[in-house]
Amino acid sequence: MLLGRRRFLGHLGSGLAGIALQRLLADDGPIRPKIVGSAPLAPRPPHFAPRAKRVVMIFCSGACSQLDTWDYKPELIKRHGEPLPGGEALVTFQGEQGALTQSPYTFRPRGECGKHTSDLLPRLGALVDDMCFIHSMTSKTNTHGPGENFMSTGFTLGGFPSMGAWVSYALGSENEELPAFVALPDPRGVPQSSVNDWGNGFLPAAFQGTPLNALGPVRHLASPVGSSATTETATRRFIERLNARHLERFPGDNELGARIASYELAARMQLSVPSATDLGAESAATLHEYGADDPDAVRAGFARNCILARRLVERGVRFVQLFNGAYAMGEGVGNWDGHKSLKEQYDVHGPILDRPAAALLTDLKRRGLLADTLFVWTTEFGRMPTFQKGASGRDHNPRGFTTWLAGAGVKAPFSYGATDEFGYAAVEKPTTVYDFHATILHLLGLYHERLSYYHNGIERRLTDVHGHVIEDILA
Amino acid sequence: MTPLPLLLVLLCVSGSGQDGAQGDVEFERDVRPLLAVRCFGCHGPEKQKSSLRLDRRAAALRGGDSGEPALVPGDGTASRLIELVSGADPLSVMPPQGERLSVDEVALLRRWIDEGASWGDAEAEPAAGLRWSLLPLVRPEPPAITRASWEHPLDRFVLAGLASAGLEPSAEAERATLIRRMSLILCGLPPAPEHVQAFVADPRPDAYEQLVTRLLESPSYGERWARHWLDLARFAETDGFETNTPRPNAWRYRDYVIRAFNDDIPYDQFVLQQLAGDAVGEDVATGFLVGGPYDTVLSPDMVLTRQQRQDELADMVNTTTTAFLGLTLACARCHDHKFDPITQTDYYAVQSLFAGVRHGERPLPSADDSAPVQRDADVERERAGLRSAVNPRLNEEAFAPVATERIRFRVLRTNSASEPCLDELEVFVDGVNVAPLATIATSGDYGGDPQHQRVHLNDGVYGNGRSWISDTPGAGWVMLELAGPARVDRINWGRDREGVYTDRLATEYIIEVADDAGAWTTVATSEGRSPLRDEAAELAQLPHVYAGHFEEPAPTHRLYRGDPMSEREIVAPDVPRVFASLALAADAPERERRLALARWLCDRNNPLTARVIVNRIWMHHFGEGLVDTPSDFGAMGSAPSHPELLDWLAVELIDSGWSLKHVQRLIVSSRTWRQSSRPNDAGLAQDSSARLLWRFPPRRMEAEYLRDAILAVAGTLDAESSGPGFSTFEPNDNYVRVYTPKNELGPDTWRRMIYMTKVRMERDDTFGVFDIPDAGQVCPERARSTTALQALNLFNSGFVLEQAQRFAVRLMHDAGNDPRAQIERAFHLSFGRAPEPEERAAALALVGEHGLPALCRALFNANELAFVP
Repeated sequence: MLLGRRRFLGHLGSGLAGIALQRLLADDGPIRPKIVGSAPLAPRPPHFAPRAKRVVMIFCSGACSQLDTWDYKPELIKRHGEPLPGGEALVTFQGEQGALTQSPYTFRPRGECGKHTSDLLPRLGALVDDMCFIHSMTSKTNTHGPGENFMSTGFTLGGFPSMGAWVSYALGSENEELPAFVALPDPRGVPQSSVNDWGNGFLPAAFQGTPLNALGPVRHLASPVGSSATTETATRRFIERLNARHLERFPGDNELGARIASYELAARMQLSVPSATDLGAESAATLHEYGADDPDAVRAGFARNCILARRLVERGVRFVQLFNGAYAMGEGVGNWDGHKSLKEQYDVHGPILDRPAAALLTDLKRRGLLADTLFVWTTEFGRMPTFQKGASGRDHNPRGFTTWLAGAGVKAPFSYGATDEFGYAAVEKPTTVYDFHATILHLLGLYHERLSYYHNGIERRLTDVHGHVIEDILA
Repeated sequence: MTPLPLLLVLLCVSGSGQDGAQGDVEFERDVRPLLAVRCFGCHGPEKQKSSLRLDRRAAALRGGDSGEPALVPGDGTASRLIELVSGADPLSVMPPQGERLSVDEVALLRRWIDEGASWGDAEAEPAAGLRWSLLPLVRPEPPAITRASWEHPLDRFVLAGLASAGLEPSAEAERATLIRRMSLILCGLPPAPEHVQAFVADPRPDAYEQLVTRLLESPSYGERWARHWLDLARFAETDGFETNTPRPNAWRYRDYVIRAFNDDIPYDQFVLQQLAGDAVGEDVATGFLVGGPYDTVLSPDMVLTRQQRQDELADMVNTTTTAFLGLTLACARCHDHKFDPITQTDYYAVQSLFAGVRHGERPLPSADDSAPVQRDADVERERAGLRSAVNPRLNEEAFAPVATERIRFRVLRTNSASEPCLDELEVFVDGVNVAPLATIATSGDYGGDPQHQRVHLNDGVYGNGRSWISDTPGAGWVMLELAGPARVDRINWGRDREGVYTDRLATEYIIEVADDAGAWTTVATSEGRSPLRDEAAELAQLPHVYAGHFEEPAPTHRLYRGDPMSEREIVAPDVPRVFASLALAADAPERERRLALARWLCDRNNPLTARVIVNRIWMHHFGEGLVDTPSDFGAMGSAPSHPELLDWLAVELIDSGWSLKHVQRLIVSSRTWRQSSRPNDAGLAQDSSARLLWRFPPRRMEAEYLRDAILAVAGTLDAESSGPGFSTFEPNDNYVRVYTPKNELGPDTWRRMIYMTKVRMERDDTFGVFDIPDAGQVCPERARSTTALQALNLFNSGFVLEQAQRFAVRLMHDAGNDPRAQIERAFHLSFGRAPEPEERAAALALVGEHGLPALCRALFNANELAFVP
């Protein structure tokens, strides 16, 4: 039976065909990258000319205080000891507020631009001319777990793909012999949301972050102790023969072919990963510049992770996420969660971060890698301009915090948005985590509204149904 | 807009409303031109800002992202459209730019809505979104028989699909392949070589049926199929989020699901038990409701607390609707569904069904009622002249009337080392509780927890969730200052009147009243009470299960844009309007809500329940469902490849008394299922993914199967079923748990993987990379990816290497020292077949030079082991 014209159009408008057609016409529908089973990390083109080819991100776990690092507030110094206006009615994560409290670290002008940053991170501070600050970040939650989830995956709940997983899903890798997405947990342990920070969520497992650090290599990479190279090779050859026989019975089966290819790649990775992670080739000067020769094991460990990050970036790894701060040791002890005695704790954490991170940024720039690498520094949310009632530290504050970008495609030196006079709430150009993610994807040449994966009836995106690219910070 | 013009508008409208002489408003003549010029630019066929569309009646009634209907026919004043165009709220006026609507224009629109908002002829739109999946289920007539032995209705539907594409089915697979396929799919284990040989040689005419029966009756069947259901139930044995604390009694739900599949509990019962098992004597089953993550980090910040609760409820709504109905309600939390006829109100109606469900453990009712024993003991104590022991629920302290304004309750000791808790303190004067008017002072309050506040002591709400806890372990006091002097003669107090908690109970206490001079007189104490039976310990000895607890909930509100601080109207518990109404009152009893939902889901007229589950079963056999979006039967999902077959199977399920094993038997007995999986050019050219089923589609098995198969082949599989699981992580009791993989995995970890304690987020060190879901969300279909890390784990992990050693030992035991016999046995155990000559030669060379374990390690890594043939 022929459909009447009206019914036909009705179908077009409401049915699946109609949706597909509309999308083609409007050309703004979802883009789901085509993944080849035998080479899921094969490079894929971005949606438009990118400014950055890869990302290095430092994630300070535990909510690093904006008020003791990047967000200079003379008014907070001036009104030190006074109550925060409206603060008596304010109930934050751990309860009631004490007085406004200036940072224990002095702020001074730095770089040619003269931007004020604190003495907590002097080496990073010296690089302000390369930095693009977003001072008006906001989060949706004031709890670490959901907060880290939100910053890493765009959702406060678990089960969603992390930023790096989205990027490797979209773009694959420039080096198929290394994982596209590497997570480098702090030498002290994993961050609060642990594997959620680098998980693949509902994306295929190929896109999850591979956790490794300069001390612990990729799991199960090494051949078994006591097995000779010839045994390894002979065993592999035998598997190949079995699989080849098997494939003859199922010619053209993609999944079988992919599995054969995965064993070949695994063998190549056994060579390429150790060469990437072996810092033996680094000069003493480099080790010293990063602080990898520091007698303190944690400082040296984070320094080695930073060197490793550069080596991975050099080899074309798409997304490297360095974590600074871990949770196993408890609140504030091994991370930036300075509730009770902020100065005592930040005195420990500042030097662990400062020298290696500054060396990494400098090194990337010197080697020309910053031209097409986006460098990102972030944390899950901010802290209060007050000290907590009866304590010498700051409570959680999702209403205002600072992140910064450097390198490919961003203005520098530049500062975007602002918190109020005390550094409490974003008042000028408030920026969401969605905006932050949208901007990172944009710099990588990806439409954040179109990069999608169909899951349980929803076209999922990193930015959910939100987010605007922060045009003002694009170079 | 100032109030005055608004008033004028109202006057005008009420005037015009009475003045019928002006005649009816005509949509095409009067309204459409106005809307077209002023509104359609942003809310018409081209653009739908905020998802609002005003050129169609249904869309306008539905409203935009806000969830508020734009039009309420018959009530212009209540219509959002009028609110916005009239400028009632100066912050949101439509149109946002350009000239505002004139008073006359607003009045016209209002009158048009008052008269019913007729769209005239244009109203005859198709019912948007009503899809095949919502049409009533009727058993379709199977196509005529066209091929010998393909006589079963199921095969006739498939054959008709093939014929329409000009494809032929494949020949039947060999018996050795069929038993392997069936063992893998039904039981998740490779068949023992003896079983393969017996089946291949079985001369009985019903050999195949016998095999089906044997495998469906095997306890392994439930251990395999429960896994699929646990994925849907996002089941894990830890809380998730940052603390990721273990739930030591969650495994009982896992055992329940295994038992349900093995006992073939009718699917309708299975649904009912998981939603309301507490009502039908199957308490463990409600582990389904609370299988998801639970954020246990509490804060006095009200916004955060409400947000957490909304997230918990969203998890329950999404999991339930996805699992049973194949529908996604998630996006309707903040706005109306973009594609399916699900409104935001529908979402909150469904949420209200679960509003009284709380995370946590509850004791299982014991089979024998021990209450009489307890009464005997109490009688004995009373004979000895003692008062009964303190009761965690309620204690009455009666004394001679005494005039006072201040009453103090001092706790000197508790039954646990922790800070004392009181959920309510009641002060009686002539039988009237005067405590609610009292002001409260305490020795100090437990910090940081909104559940435990001093104002809860006299708020009239019982239970741990609205209680007070002191800031000092084992001690603390509470003082009530009454509104005025009164003659008090009784105090009632309790720790948790809901009876869930028994810790933090005051066992030594003094109750005092103050006289005018401020001196304290004791009116009651714990002295003379018989010692407390250690109820906490006794209760702890009762089996517990992480199956949630239930309380009568406060009303559910629609939340504007999903914001927990923006409550709108009260929404009664219900299912989405497009289906039906459960006709529940907004304050319907908690359990009644879940029962009503379950009854509606299991009604044979529900169009989705049976379709969704038979599709899931089909998917686990053939790799893809008849609908390849198994949890989206809505407008964005796919249409079925064989719609009539799906409906036929769904009706068959219901008519069989909801027997899932009946459906399993139908599927594995079919000619379709028994086809060879070998490809052919015609099939590959036309239908490479075999959606039309011209062959049986082979595929890689899941992680659990791989691990189980390696243990089974190595001969090390521990057959112990049920009970607490085993862990592959080092023990750890940090507040924020750290999951470090164990280096050595001993025999206690060699049980089937379904008994591996499922940690949320963290995945097993060796098999986690094989697309094991992280239990963050409902997972109806696992990804099936192939990565180099999988290869590394199977080739180099300690687990696989150890099992290769064990496999070698087994081979020497089974086959002696002759390498040929060892290789023969190894191939039969691994692949259910003898080695081919070329394989035998290669294996001999490998064993000769590198030893038997090298061969074993290789076989564990072969494609043939990992694939369903």
